[in-house]
Amino acid sequence: MAAVNINTEEFKRMISGDKPVLVDFWAPWCGYCRRLAPAYDALADELGGELAFAKINVDDDSAVADELGVEVIPTLIMYKNGRAVDSVVNPGSKGAMERFIRAALAK
Amino acid sequence: MEEKRSFDMIVVGGGPGGCTAALYAARAGLSVLVLEKLSAGGQMALTEAIDNYPGYDEGIDGFTLAEKMQRQAERFGAKTEYAEVLSLDLAANPKRLSTDAGDFFARTVVIAAGAQPRELGLAHEAELTGKGVAYCAACDGMRYKGKTVVVVGGGSSAAADALLLSRVAGKVILVHRRGKLRAEKIYNEPLMRAGNIEFRWNSVVAGLLHGAKLTGVRLRDVATGAETDIDCDGLFISVGRKPSTRLERGQLELDSGGYIAADETTKTSLPGVYAVGDVRAKPLRQVVTAVADGAVAVHMAEEFLAGGA
Repeated sequence: MAAVNINTEEFKRMISGDKPVLVDFWAPWCGYCRRLAPAYDALADELGGELAFAKINVDDDSAVADELGVEVIPTLIMYKNGRAVDSVVNPGSKGAMERFIRAALAK
Repeated sequence: MEEKRSFDMIVVGGGPGGCTAALYAARAGLSVLVLEKLSAGGQMALTEAIDNYPGYDEGIDGFTLAEKMQRQAERFGAKTEYAEVLSLDLAANPKRLSTDAGDFFARTVVIAAGAQPRELGLAHEAELTGKGVAYCAACDGMRYKGKTVVVVGGGSSAAADALLLSRVAGKVILVHRRGKLRAEKIYNEPLMRAGNIEFRWNSVVAGLLHGAKLTGVRLRDVATGAETDIDCDGLFISVGRKPSTRLERGQLELDSGGYIAADETTKTSLPGVYAVGDVRAKPLRQVVTAVADGAVAVHMAEEFLAGGA
């Protein structure tokens, strides 16, 4: 399943569901964010059965990023049962992202 | 069906040199895999505007150019695996590349691992990266609108970073260990004219001041040893690059700077192993010289494979 672009409302609905959700906070002008996208999308295809992959453009939805205290992008936050369980800033490889996801899911 | 693990050629790194090697290899009928840990483009992917790659008369951003190069190689059958290489056995036959996605084997290997920014080596530098410490003005400059930033370095890229940041930040302080810049002369006048760039000559950054984020830097005068603390929101480190050759050390001949010793033929000290782009010892590191290397490496690899070695 591909990663989906969501807004604040969809974010609130999505994280309160049963399935864990990984959210990528990004912006189009952020080179590091764009660099993450191909591997993030590939992981969404590979692991989409276990968790949902979402993206929030912080330029479009700055309110939710501010509310969550996301100051640096790209930041990935893992949600389980409506609660943030772990986060990582600018992971350096697809493998690093996958290791973060595995560890966060196990929490 | 089991995933293919053996190739005529494996390219380590998906920057411009690696993508071009993959393109030429695929067009030559070789099976070729690019191993890339994150995304195509390498350093180029973080470059906002590339104005010196011929054919793009209006310039192009590095990420888009990288995607185009990758897609072009894939159009002819090149494969990309998002995997980080953990160890290499380049003398083996076939050559073995162990990654976080398993082992891969190849008859020829093109090392296109590129280079990365050199760190200052200060305490807490790594954990403050992204929290005030940055290595790429074009990528991170936007965060410092109206704020005070320090740029360290005296070369052309430090000068270009200071200029770029002067258009975004409120104040830029350029710190250089010598009494004048090594940067190309074309930068001098714009730097002086910017109006919001201060210079701290004969000074080095001796320490990082921080809470959860960077709050300032400690400067040391290299002549007197006197230290002063200055407040800033960001520190941009632009003190050159270092090649990503940790895995090749001990297997391939490197030069004193750690770059892979290979001439214009891209041939390294081991048969069937080629070095292209920024990772190779060469006089000019640019996208155009990297792509040229990629083409040459495939030509040499074809000769090697035809020799039945």
